[in-house]
Amino acid sequence: MKGFTVALLAWTLISPCKGSSGSGSREAWPTHIACRDGGLEMLYQSCDPLQDFGFSVDQCSKHLKPNINIRFGIILREDIKELYLDLALFSKGSSVLNFSYPVCEESLPKFSFCGRRKGEQIYYAGPVNSPGFDIPEGKYQVLLELYTENRSTVACANATVICS
Amino acid sequence: MMSPTRLAGTLVPAMAFLSCLKPETWEPCVEVVPDITYQCMELNLYKIPDNIPSSTKNLDLSFNPLRHLGSHSFSSFPELQVLDLSRCEIQTIEDAAYQSLNHLSTLILTGNPIQSLALRAFSGLSSLQKLVAVETNLASLENFPIGHLKTLKEINVAHNHIHSLKLPEYFSNLTNLEHLDLSNNKIQNIYHKDLQVLHPISLINLSLDLSLNPIDFIQSGAFKDIRLHKLTLRSNFNSMNEMKTCIQGLAGLKVHQFVLGEFRNERNMEDFDISVLNGLCNLTIKEFRFACLYHDFSDATDLFNCLANVSTISLIHLNLDRLEGLPNNVRWQSLELVTCKLEQFPTLEIPSLKRFIFTAHKSGYTFAEFKLPSLEFLDLSRNGLNFKGCCSHTDFGTTKLEHLDLSFNAVITMSSNFLGLEQLKYLDFQHSHLKQTSDFPVFLSLKNLLYLDISYTNILVAFRGIFNGLSSLQTLKMAGNSFQGNLLPEIFTNLSHLTFLDLSECQLEHVSQEAFNSLLRLQLLNMSNNHLVSLDLCPYQHLKSLQVLDYSFNRIVTSKKQELLHLPSSLTFLNLTQNAFACTCEHQSFLQWVKDQRQHLVQVEQMVCATPLDMQEMSVLSFRNATCQMSKTIISVSVLSVLVVSFVVVLVYKFYFHLMLLAGCKKYGRGESTYDAFVIYSSQDEDWVRNELVKNLEEGVPPFKLCLHYRDFIPGVAIAANIIQEGFHKSRKVIVVVSQHFIQSRWCIFEYEIAQTWQFLSSHAGIIFIVLQKVEKSLLRQQVELYRLLSRNTYLEWEDSVLGRHIFWRRLRKALLDGKPWSPEGTADAECN
Repeated sequence: MKGFTVALLAWTLISPCKGSSGSGSREAWPTHIACRDGGLEMLYQSCDPLQDFGFSVDQCSKHLKPNINIRFGIILREDIKELYLDLALFSKGSSVLNFSYPVCEESLPKFSFCGRRKGEQIYYAGPVNSPGFDIPEGKYQVLLELYTENRSTVACANATVICS
Repeated sequence: MMSPTRLAGTLVPAMAFLSCLKPETWEPCVEVVPDITYQCMELNLYKIPDNIPSSTKNLDLSFNPLRHLGSHSFSSFPELQVLDLSRCEIQTIEDAAYQSLNHLSTLILTGNPIQSLALRAFSGLSSLQKLVAVETNLASLENFPIGHLKTLKEINVAHNHIHSLKLPEYFSNLTNLEHLDLSNNKIQNIYHKDLQVLHPISLINLSLDLSLNPIDFIQSGAFKDIRLHKLTLRSNFNSMNEMKTCIQGLAGLKVHQFVLGEFRNERNMEDFDISVLNGLCNLTIKEFRFACLYHDFSDATDLFNCLANVSTISLIHLNLDRLEGLPNNVRWQSLELVTCKLEQFPTLEIPSLKRFIFTAHKSGYTFAEFKLPSLEFLDLSRNGLNFKGCCSHTDFGTTKLEHLDLSFNAVITMSSNFLGLEQLKYLDFQHSHLKQTSDFPVFLSLKNLLYLDISYTNILVAFRGIFNGLSSLQTLKMAGNSFQGNLLPEIFTNLSHLTFLDLSECQLEHVSQEAFNSLLRLQLLNMSNNHLVSLDLCPYQHLKSLQVLDYSFNRIVTSKKQELLHLPSSLTFLNLTQNAFACTCEHQSFLQWVKDQRQHLVQVEQMVCATPLDMQEMSVLSFRNATCQMSKTIISVSVLSVLVVSFVVVLVYKFYFHLMLLAGCKKYGRGESTYDAFVIYSSQDEDWVRNELVKNLEEGVPPFKLCLHYRDFIPGVAIAANIIQEGFHKSRKVIVVVSQHFIQSRWCIFEYEIAQTWQFLSSHAGIIFIVLQKVEKSLLRQQVELYRLLSRNTYLEWEDSVLGRHIFWRRLRKALLDGKPWSPEGTADAECN
């Protein structure tokens, strides 16, 4: 009984209160599974202090297809007239690939979510281009960041890809 | 009595509850511009904050759970111009909620699940120009109470549940309306009556976006005689047939810009036939944009059947295979092809075309000549294009070209110096691989060129005339190239109009002193990311207009004082960050200069030291001159002490025996003398000493005990030690036998010098001089001291006459007797071995 009380007291003092927003130290967002299939496991965690987001890949496989279908849902904190994606791939701590891609350009919006507004919810389910190759076995770290023309972060994710 | 455990059991959950209880938190908003702009995004506000100044013009309250907007909610902010209420969980907006916001021009209500919107909710907004009500549960425009907002220019009601395009009567009031965004709604059918209100009024500037509505029917004539600025229909149709009938339904529409197509990520129609577009013949279109249809257009010619009269045509993300056999009558002035998967580079012949944009095609095409005699603007960027023999007017069939963009292509070989393209004002080659730029002045004809970008084009500048002819050039970007010997030579001599020059990432190690002499109008110069080791400002001294000089990411360690004197007077920003500064006293004058010029230096706090180790990553400003003064003192003190020590050592060395004497004096003290006199003489005079001096003194009465080296010096001890210890220390007097030989003997002179010190130390007259024979004066003068002493002191002279000798001995005895203790046994005991 005493041990339980001590544990409870410790929990009371240490545990942060959910819902108290603001500038205080915030808990890290939980780690989500984007897919786990066909020898490939993809986990991600939001690295945007403001919000978490939902992301999943349909039918993941270590034989990466030229077109993979993804689902992505988020509530925008910024207008996205222009949207850019930065992707950095690390293997064993060293950088393997750095890649930047303009997702939305003001003059020719390719995707239907381009031009959406701050506060608007977007849900994208559809194909994305990928190089199409077999992923070598190993553990990879992927840093993904979506940002606007003002360099404001729209979404940021620390992903781990484990291929076995 | 409650047990302590139970007490704790009750208290702990209570504490847990209390500590997690949300108080009515007041979180201060971020003051972006004092008294004007406040940012209160996501601060968990339940009500509109009252601690914000009433002069606020821009207020962002987004992502706060306001939930309810009562009347006169914003009466304390009468100056508001922009109000952002995105995602505030607002369900109810009461009458006159925004009353008194007479200056409000933008109201954003995105993402609020509005259920109750009072009829007079927007009353008072007499200046509102932009209303964003995206994703607000809006079901129809009819019930949207905005009819009185005559100043409205933009209404964005996208992502709602609107089922009908029926524009209510009140639109006839909105005469300033320019944008109506109805995209992502539920509009299925468009009837004639829906747009009735647009007939009497002429909203020729209205842009209507109906994308992402599941339109399956447009009543014939619904758009007849309607003029729009822009109509966007993207991802609207489920099938080819629906699209066909709907386009036919648009007949009679006069539109400046018509955008038709799909989105990459939305569902695409299953099949597509060019005949769908036949309906476009009944429309009057100025600009046509066709985007993101991934069906194969085997024969593109039919695509343009109804588009011959448009002036601007944009084809974006289409699978066009070929673009040949265009109808002869096309009057296009502008053609844009973006990512169209053409099999080969299109060779067009359109006499009217002024603008041609062909970009972002992935395959590596080879450029083929085309003939566009009216062409003024040509963009062939991002195609991986190979271009053999660039560029002259025959390549493009025009002499009117003003804008040419060949950036992000493959290999471009320069073979002609833009012959016939003298009108060019803008030329961009960046990130293409340029070849043969060093063989001849490639830009010689471009006397009207204002802008030239050859960044990252693999040029090795070896030819000094590379920029000859560019007499009007204002902007030159040549980052990421290289120079022969990594030296920037005088290649800018003709560019007297240049205002912007980018030379970053050119591996430069040196800059010629005359490199920039003619660039009198240069305002911005970027020298960053080079390998420059020193900041030499001499080459920039003639740049009277230079305002910005970027030297960041170089390897600057320091700079000499005279090189820093030439800082151009107009310079306002000098960037020296990310260099390898040496923060040592050696470069103190440079570091002081940095401090003096800090108002001109960009991010001066981020200028950090690279060496020495203890200053690494520390700001250059933190270097203190005092440390140098300190070390100067240390250096001078140590030099001085070394000098003193060596001086002392030299003295000790030189006066070693004198010191030995001094030490001995203390040790033996006075009055313990074994001998009456120590005789200093030359061994040549030994006969006289033995026969005359010893005989007379030791055997006379009273007897004197003399110390004689041949007799009394202890064998095995150094001569010098014997002289001092036996001779001087144990004797009361010293008899110096001066003769010709005495002066010539080094030992005698040494003994005599010691004797002098001995006399000085014992502080009484102890030296008795006997001049044995007349010494030549010239010889005596060599021994200055002796000469002086002999001329000042009384000395005894050895005489040959009997009387003289008698007097001699009497005087000598008398002198020796001085200070002698009168004890006969003292002499008897004395042994002098």
